[in-house]
Amino acid sequence: MKLLPSSSSRTPVKFRIPTADNLVPIRLDIEIDGQRFKDAFTWNPADPDSEVVVFAKRTVKDLKLPPAFITQIAQSIQSQLTDFRSYEGQDMYAGEKIVPIKLDLRVNHSLIKDQFLWDMNNFESDPEEFARTFCRDMDIQDPEVGPAIAFAIREQLYEIAIQSVTSARESRLSKKGRRGFDYSPAIKSSGISLDLVKYFGHKSSVVRKRKDWDVFEPIVDILSSEEVGALEAREERNAR
Amino acid sequence: MSSRGSKILTRNPIFAAVGNFKTPPAPVKFHSMAAQAPAAGDTPSSSTATPPPNPQSLPPPNPATTAPSPVKVETPSTDSKVTPAATAAATPPPKPPEPPATEADTIHIPRYSRWFSWDNIHECELRLLPEFFDGKFPSRNPQVYKYYRDSIIKLYRQNPSRKITFTDARRTLVGDVGSIRKVFDFLETWGLINYSGLASSKPLKWDDKEGNKSSSGAASQGGGSSGSNNVAEASGSSKETAKRVCNGCKSVCTIACFACDKYNLTLCARCYVRGNYQVGVSSSDFRRVEINEEMKAEWTEKETLHLLEGIMHYGDDWRKVAQHVGGRSEKECVAQFIKLPFGEEFVDPAEMESKRNAMENNNAVLGAETPSSSLPNKRMCLTPLADASNPIMAQAAFLSALAGVEVTEAAAQAALTTLSEMDYGVSRAGSFSNHAKPQEARLPSNGDGGLNATEGALMEANSQLEKEEQDLEKAISEIAEVQMKRIHDKIVEFEELDILMEKERQQLDQLKNMLFADQLVLSIYKNKARKSGECMEENARSD
Repeated sequence: MKLLPSSSSRTPVKFRIPTADNLVPIRLDIEIDGQRFKDAFTWNPADPDSEVVVFAKRTVKDLKLPPAFITQIAQSIQSQLTDFRSYEGQDMYAGEKIVPIKLDLRVNHSLIKDQFLWDMNNFESDPEEFARTFCRDMDIQDPEVGPAIAFAIREQLYEIAIQSVTSARESRLSKKGRRGFDYSPAIKSSGISLDLVKYFGHKSSVVRKRKDWDVFEPIVDILSSEEVGALEAREERNAR
Repeated sequence: MSSRGSKILTRNPIFAAVGNFKTPPAPVKFHSMAAQAPAAGDTPSSSTATPPPNPQSLPPPNPATTAPSPVKVETPSTDSKVTPAATAAATPPPKPPEPPATEADTIHIPRYSRWFSWDNIHECELRLLPEFFDGKFPSRNPQVYKYYRDSIIKLYRQNPSRKITFTDARRTLVGDVGSIRKVFDFLETWGLINYSGLASSKPLKWDDKEGNKSSSGAASQGGGSSGSNNVAEASGSSKETAKRVCNGCKSVCTIACFACDKYNLTLCARCYVRGNYQVGVSSSDFRRVEINEEMKAEWTEKETLHLLEGIMHYGDDWRKVAQHVGGRSEKECVAQFIKLPFGEEFVDPAEMESKRNAMENNNAVLGAETPSSSLPNKRMCLTPLADASNPIMAQAAFLSALAGVEVTEAAAQAALTTLSEMDYGVSRAGSFSNHAKPQEARLPSNGDGGLNATEGALMEANSQLEKEEQDLEKAISEIAEVQMKRIHDKIVEFEELDILMEKERQQLDQLKNMLFADQLVLSIYKNKARKSGECMEENARSD
């Protein structure tokens, strides 16, 4: 599903996650009888649905969860997949979209904070590769960090893509009366994207301003067990 | 391949012969490198290896037998080459024995997986995981596949005595879980991960023979213990209960299953076909076992009770009976009912009648036991006599069940004697009491007999009952006749009335006709009169 959008494409493009591989971020958070199962991973929507059940069974067996989880997990995955598929046929505008992606995650003992810009138009981008490189460069020992980063990036991209779809739909509805060339309000709708012209105007240079350096620098902290415990407790409290 | 069935030996004749090694013939830990060794020389032979492993491969889990020397030299360096870019620097040429601290064991992989190499992708992999290599998905390409494969295997080999689960692997890998799962399954089937040599005893013997030292001994022990663990696990998990549960997918086997006696496994048909069994077990080890839907156990007491109750209530309506029993289909109910060992007909209306009579005329509730005691004991055991519609009957049944056979018999006797003394036919038709009186006269004489008296009384009661029935029938027929006659008379009356009506109608018609005729005449006269009047007028005018 590789598309080569024109530079300033106003034509709507079929919805998909704007990465090289069209993978869906799936988040699970199931609670049965006081047992909590949280997980997040990426799923290939081209896999047959039988995979869902197999995966659920496998996970439950591996983690030795009570079998009531199987149906819950499978249902949750299925519903998220159908959500994704419902967006899939629709159009989304792929305008000039450079969006900031923020990472703020805690995986086991590592705390990751980062911010960077991502081109939504680049349909060959690869969050997985980014995650791998990140872990390698930052010398992260914990192998679970990589997938978490990739997942976070994907999730945010997915959210933005959904927004663009809904905005496209709205704009189409609002423009029902007017035929003819539809100038896309994409720039208006996605307020988070940066206007490249403004950003990289002839006045300013491409180099980032010094004051922004802190914001855009990745921070990796290794926490000790107590801190982890404290953070978890705080998260639980916030969740309630 | 001189030593066919062994794992890597340190005292390998070939090694010894080739002297230009830095590595002394001391226990060398071939951890992850072991697998790489045969890559160079073995490709042709291993390409014939097919997925279901041959049983022979079991005893000799064998990463590499005789590593030809050049390969041996390469192994350390290639190993470090293969580890991802983290250690980019070239490692020094063949290191002396690896620090024993890292892993003390050798990794066992089955012989059919000897093709595995860190560097290459073998055609087995191409064949079995085509989706990675045909370019359909951008996310599935050979590099990604290699990355998954290598990282999963490394993860496993960090702790080879522990089986890694799919979820562990999945969590550490960046990528979509479907692909990871496929690779994981593939590796597991081929014994490249989670493989514990089940028959690790052989290498042990071999080691002893060769006089090998700690490493191999430790390795085989490690392998042996994990192997024995595994076997224990397998036997525990494969313990079959009455229901056969498949070891592979943990589902209940219904129609047919395959049992492997060698390793005491049971697989459902699906798992067998899919090859979802442990590594090292071949498809030929299984034999087919047919299991029909062998239905549930016998009927419990409770169910039989419900069944009889239901039958009493609903008679022939088996659907309702089945509902009442709950949990059994209609056919089963019928089948069970037929099977119940009854001496005689269960429901006998005559006896019910006599019971009811006894009830009405007798304070002693236990009088009902008369007929019941004559029935086979089975009936006594079952309190489905508890006919809920008649609470007294229910009580009687309950008490009879409680009391037991002899007691009820005695009670019945006593009841009969009192019966005979009382006015038996009070509530019945008057004629019946006439019959009853001579009976009563007879009964007291025999009343204090044993069971015979009871039986005699029973017979008398029966005959009286029959007579009463006949009287009833007669009466009914008479009544019917009377009614018919009445109706007949009525019909006759109506006919007469009908005839009368006809006559009157005819008269009426005649009258009508006459009236009409009169009217006609009148009108003619009128006309005439008028006409003549007009003529006269005309005449008068014309004049």
